[in-house]
Amino acid sequence: MCQNPNEPKKNPSHFESIEHSEDTPTHRDLLWEDYENLIQGMRFFDPHIHMVSRTTDDYQMMVKAGIVAIIEPAFWVGQPRTGLSSFKDYYSSLVGWERFRSSQFGIKHYCTMGLNSREANNERLAEEVMEILPLFAFKEGVVGIGEIGFDDQTVLEEKYYRLQLELAKKAKLPVQIHTPHRDKKRGTERSMSIAIEHGLDPSWVVVDHNNEETVKSVLDKGFWAAFTIYPFTKMGNERMVSVVEKYGPERIMINSSADWGISDPLAIPKTAALMMQRGIPKEVIRKVTYQNAIDAFAKSGQIDVRDFDLEFSPDPNAKFHGNSVLRGGQQPVVNKNSLFIQ
Amino acid sequence: MNANTTIELTQFLFEMTTKSEREWLENKTKTNVLDLMTAFVAAPRFLSKKNISYDDKAKGNLIPHLPGYQVDGWSLVRLARVWLLLQIPQDPKEECIKNIETLFDTAELNELVALYSALPLLPYPWEWLSRATDAVRSNMGFVFDAISILNPYPELYFPESAWNQLVLKTIFNGKPIHLIYGLDRRKNKELAISISDFIDERFAAGRKIPPQILRLLAPFSNEEHSSTLIRMFASEESGEKEAAALVCFESKEPKLRSLLANQPELELSIQNGELDWSKLESIA
Ligand SMILES: [Zn+2]
Repeated sequence: MCQNPNEPKKNPSHFESIEHSEDTPTHRDLLWEDYENLIQGMRFFDPHIHMVSRTTDDYQMMVKAGIVAIIEPAFWVGQPRTGLSSFKDYYSSLVGWERFRSSQFGIKHYCTMGLNSREANNERLAEEVMEILPLFAFKEGVVGIGEIGFDDQTVLEEKYYRLQLELAKKAKLPVQIHTPHRDKKRGTERSMSIAIEHGLDPSWVVVDHNNEETVKSVLDKGFWAAFTIYPFTKMGNERMVSVVEKYGPERIMINSSADWGISDPLAIPKTAALMMQRGIPKEVIRKVTYQNAIDAFAKSGQIDVRDFDLEFSPDPNAKFHGNSVLRGGQQPVVNKNSLFIQ
Repeated sequence: MNANTTIELTQFLFEMTTKSEREWLENKTKTNVLDLMTAFVAAPRFLSKKNISYDDKAKGNLIPHLPGYQVDGWSLVRLARVWLLLQIPQDPKEECIKNIETLFDTAELNELVALYSALPLLPYPWEWLSRATDAVRSNMGFVFDAISILNPYPELYFPESAWNQLVLKTIFNGKPIHLIYGLDRRKNKELAISISDFIDERFAAGRKIPPQILRLLAPFSNEEHSSTLIRMFASEESGEKEAAALVCFESKEPKLRSLLANQPELELSIQNGELDWSKLESIA
């Protein structure tokens, strides 16, 4: 990403709005170091983050800030894929390399599988992707079908959204809905009514990237309402605090959606710190930054919190496909005091 | 693959499953191939996580035409996945190959293990040769084990160079070579040369030598190996001494035989049948 954040972007990320691109991050004046201690000992679950676009430094900061588990939804990597193989490789990386890399930092990595709305518009490729999607949807550690839904709200987007809702029913998996940046309110309503039309239980559906305009309807209909704290967007974390104050913690969850855009993998702990500072009860914070996401996605049968309750000691010498996260010259975390190199 | 294999394997698998697990598996054979492939992926969602263990004497040979092919210690999911692969329609050939290739292309680690475990039972065995040699190159421990340990496929289909690579890599990985299926049947001169070089390298680096690898050298040993063997007799590791003694004992070279004459105790224990290669096998 080499874009000037003040300029309209051709490929806005999850929560960007071209019309409101002059917005500034609401939390940029808060110095994280000053607030970090507010959340000491708390643990967080980020149900929406694209680690494939993030660095190893991020993993280190995340684990330090108390993030114990994450969900990586299959989404847009910033440019359209040109063939089925790229999809296969991408999906494989979500259950393979990225899961391994995450484990190296003691973070439990799950993912959701889906054909994203943007790429649903390439019908030829979309057809091929739909053929292999079941082979990924049923894999271990896949906790949902996602993120699916609308972007431009085209006919093809609707077609593949519907097909994937059917797949979710068949696979008994929760659904993670990506709501569009443009015409969000209508897009969100449309996504929900189609899900209901297909007979999905709203308690199995997480509607993502909500704002003040959409939250009430989502909650009223019985869906999970997820909020993305993403800089330069409509939802900064100060306003997130107000949403929680107004609606309480039931069926609300917070995520970072951090990806290749200007985003923040610490969005959840930072928002939690802000909520602590504003005097929101700890149990409320726990629900919206940890427990609700687990409750929603554990319906997949793929989440066992004992996996991250255990004191985790990753083996930094482990290798994946013969590759380690550690590069030449780097020493694994263990044995660093040894003079001998064997 | 023949029909008998399927019957034996089916019987065995169903003995291991609960009623509902069995029903789930049986239903999958009655559907279309995509459902079957999906079942291969989804198996851990429907089957218990237990491991299979059985007394192999009681079980005899699970696959009659592949004596020694065993599934002891496998997870139930792995066994069920192998079985599901055998249910994929074999005709037309192109379709069958494409379906299995797709499973390879999209597989995660545990699925790869099942796929490689199934290779000696799959139809069109030659079609999987490059996949199988790729698995040898893999550094994913579980995948490497699936092709190299107790798997008849390499012995039956690998050309010599690939076979030798598999054995050498097993040694490099510090794994027990005696678990390579058909190891003794496919000893060869080229491999013996590599083993000899490997031993010299280890000596030069001051490292230990896994003694049982000398069994690969023994039938091809010659005068050139005498200095190596002398060094091994001088070793403080009893295993290295014993391996050297076994090489000399098997050798037809008078010079090597004479080295053993200096080790009367070792010679005697070999003659008495107390020392053989199996004593040097260790499960790493
Ligand atoms: Zn996303």
